[in-house]
Amino acid sequence: MEDTELGNKSLSRREFLAGTAAVLAGGSLLAACGGSTSTPGSSSTNYTFVLIQGVKGDPFYVTMQKGAQAMADKLGVKLLVDGPAQFSATLQAPIVDAYIAKKVDVMIIAACDKQAMIAPLQRANDAGIKVISVDTFIGNGDYTSGPVTFPLSYIGSDNVQGGMIAGQALIKSIGNKGGIYIENVTPGISTTDQRQQGCEQAIKATNGAVTLVGSNYDNDSAATASQQVSALLSSSKGTKVNGIFGTNLFSAEGSAQAVKNANKQGQIKIANFDAPQQAIVDLNNGVVDLVIAQKPSDMGSTAVQYGVYALTGKTSSIHKRVATGYVVIDKTNVNDPASQAAIYKSS
Amino acid sequence: MPDVQPILQVKDLYKRFGGLVAVDHVSLDIYPGEVIGILGDNGAGKSTLIKMISGAYKPDGGQILLNGEVVSFSTPLEARRRGIETIYQDLALCENLDASANIFLGRERMRHQLGIFRVLDRPYMLRESRQVLDQLDIRIPELRNPIRQLSGGQRQAVSIARAVYWNAYLMIMDEPTAALGVPEQLKVLELIRTLRNQGVPVILISHNMQDVFAVADRVIVMRRGSKAGERNISETSENEVVGLMVGAEYTRVIKKIHDASEEVRFTTHDESE
Amino acid sequence: MKVSDAATPSANQSQPGKTALRPLDIVSRGWSWLFLLLLIIFFSITGQGFLNIFNFQTIGADMSLVLIMALGQTFVILSGGIDLSVGFVMGMASVASALVMSRIGGGAPLFVVVLAGLAVGLGVGLIPGLVNGLVIARLRVPPFIVTLGMYGIARGAGFILSGGQPVSVQTNGIGQIGNGYLLYLLPDGRLSFFHLPSNLQGVRPSQIVQLLPFPLILLVIVVLICAWLLSQTRFGRHTYAVGGSEEASRRAGIPVARHTILIYMLSALLASLAGVLYTMRFSNGAADVGDPLLLTSIAAVIIGGASLFGGEGTILGTVIGALIIAIIQNGLIFLGINPFWQFIAVGAVIILAVLVDQAKKQLVERS
Repeated sequence: MEDTELGNKSLSRREFLAGTAAVLAGGSLLAACGGSTSTPGSSSTNYTFVLIQGVKGDPFYVTMQKGAQAMADKLGVKLLVDGPAQFSATLQAPIVDAYIAKKVDVMIIAACDKQAMIAPLQRANDAGIKVISVDTFIGNGDYTSGPVTFPLSYIGSDNVQGGMIAGQALIKSIGNKGGIYIENVTPGISTTDQRQQGCEQAIKATNGAVTLVGSNYDNDSAATASQQVSALLSSSKGTKVNGIFGTNLFSAEGSAQAVKNANKQGQIKIANFDAPQQAIVDLNNGVVDLVIAQKPSDMGSTAVQYGVYALTGKTSSIHKRVATGYVVIDKTNVNDPASQAAIYKSS
Repeated sequence: MPDVQPILQVKDLYKRFGGLVAVDHVSLDIYPGEVIGILGDNGAGKSTLIKMISGAYKPDGGQILLNGEVVSFSTPLEARRRGIETIYQDLALCENLDASANIFLGRERMRHQLGIFRVLDRPYMLRESRQVLDQLDIRIPELRNPIRQLSGGQRQAVSIARAVYWNAYLMIMDEPTAALGVPEQLKVLELIRTLRNQGVPVILISHNMQDVFAVADRVIVMRRGSKAGERNISETSENEVVGLMVGAEYTRVIKKIHDASEEVRFTTHDESE
Repeated sequence: MKVSDAATPSANQSQPGKTALRPLDIVSRGWSWLFLLLLIIFFSITGQGFLNIFNFQTIGADMSLVLIMALGQTFVILSGGIDLSVGFVMGMASVASALVMSRIGGGAPLFVVVLAGLAVGLGVGLIPGLVNGLVIARLRVPPFIVTLGMYGIARGAGFILSGGQPVSVQTNGIGQIGNGYLLYLLPDGRLSFFHLPSNLQGVRPSQIVQLLPFPLILLVIVVLICAWLLSQTRFGRHTYAVGGSEEASRRAGIPVARHTILIYMLSALLASLAGVLYTMRFSNGAADVGDPLLLTSIAAVIIGGASLFGGEGTILGTVIGALIIAIIQNGLIFLGINPFWQFIAVGAVIILAVLVDQAKKQLVERS
């Protein structure tokens, strides 16, 4: 009997067919028993929501999860939470697809790429799932008249404004003159790109008194940010830097580390976008001077609230754009209750 | 001696590496259907001599004639194409492939699939391999298994079968029994005899005196790059050969040792040519 | 000397199956099949909704990127090497094809746009493959080091090519191909091929049954071609030979250097194909889209039974390896437990695969 060789390890035809038959037979038998084709979670009291984070393990998203969970418990809905191992659309898309198959009712998502995630989320929408954007948006974020309008709402900070606030505060702290360097994350992430945009606007508004020394991308890695800033400080441009704006958590952490290693804390002012515990420690130690906290907890709770509105027909209560605010924390107000509440939790 | 053309003639072959003369004007003739053993201590030049014949080294002087025609090989592949097959000590086999794949390694037989695609002609290669193995009376129970599952002797046999299949005029074997157990060694010697009987001359390099005396017709002893002596096996003894290998200055020592154990006569004079 | 017909019947068998299949044989050869089946059964029982045709089709479509990359990696690992640059080669190709498709698109017919994107994407991706192959084969630098260097070069090249930003493709129709299905079944019984029909009065998208996603079809075709290449052609056999013993292959007259160059070009070609597929599915291309898939591509090959030293492995094995990983990732979501378990699970399966392989070798040696 001729053997079928798929490769040099001979698999006899008998074995190959047996294997295939087993998998297919087993599969279809169970498919006949399992898997329904009903529309998403029909029971009115048993809604399932999923929060798909931008990346697992990030205190910003953990805080968002807490806010969402609190609201979910209050309103009596089940909340699942998941996220990719890296901030990457390649990894986030299969997660979206799996939850579509799992037939959740509402998908709250911080999309990893504003263009790439359109197709997977369109699939979710087509399957009858309500899609709500938190933190980052898809398309251009304008869900009323922009290129993408199917999501219910975009709930997140006005990042241009946030960048501008950070920029202005940083400019003030360096005495309204000098050079500012921006440490950014990855091009294509709506939020961080807008923060850089806002900061650059603030710099331009000084009419030359303050200049942009440069900017770089660290791919959401504090280690990379630290390397880049260390290299910058050792270079000829190093003396021109009076202030650094880190557009997200890891960017700011890494920059602060590099400044500390160069023994320049206090000389170079650092504005830290996002407020994990470490940033507050750095603030108290004088390593960073400004911490701009978003309100991820509000983003999460509002998103869950909106999901319930959508499922119960209260669509008029849903706004297409909810701009959550900021808390600007510095040494003078760090111990105020409002500031303390705004600090992100890691667990 | 019948009037037969030697298959291989080596005339005054010379090779040096820097200051060291590895092969110093060595000549020998090999006739069809004979097994030549090449003996010598480490550094005697056996390997270098063989590598020039098999095309791995270029001689610095002298000539090699194959069937009366002067040849010059720039790569071992050229030598192989002319019918000189070498079985290396490490066998040069792919352990993960089966016997027939190894026999046809680099010379795979192809057939046409659907008129346009060239694919491996496995049935042909299996059939041919089976035949050559049968012909050499080599038993391999499952031809399709990777050869790493075969014993050392069986692998050696596959290596030999490969050379035979591709119509070797001349077989060179470098330490073929080195890594084998006794029963397998006997099997390999059997194969060498079969080859000789089928008219293929074999050059056998070995440290193992008993092997050489078991299968060789003639023995050539090398010492320090030159030919120390050439004998018909039937006309010599192990002691004489050892004497040639180590030279006059050591033979007295050996004689003493042998005298202590038994009465033995052996010649001591050099026969460098 | 002619090989004459043997006078006595052959002492050498080549008919397997004459000896009974011992349970050990089944386990050692079919363990990954079994494991896959067990996984499917397990997740079907524990997770409602896991086992249905839509989920499986999506798993297949989502898996296509990493599996195409893993197919190229299979050839490389079989030949005794490794290719660490495939992630960023995929990124380069996605950027190149996105640039071309967005430039041409709109004015030209769709199939021209796709063809152009494919040609440019594949062409750009072949360059790193050629360089890898040349340096490994001619300059004799170990593959790990060369492809690690190319990892960095391709990454930089990709970002430079894209201007640091993801490149979006606004051309209509591209996304439809990347996300489309071969067959659409409407609730009123109508069938539609390749795209949705225009009059969809009162039909909600969730009522339409979609069958055979295009990426999955492409995947099946590529898998079949690669399987044929590896098992039926001389190129495939030489791949195993070089992986088994480069020296023996060289002495046997196999052009090892040329073969090595072709292997690395094939790996880059497949990674580039994954890149173009990415662009068509996500309507954008960026330099880092393939980076998260690199380690998974290697894991799939290893779980599939290939030896990291070369010479052992099959295309089918890699497919099963990729399926096992994809099913674990998908199934754990249905199970609803902490998603971090997924990392542990995949890591454990890799170790299990290597252990089974070791055990198999020891048992063979003993018999």
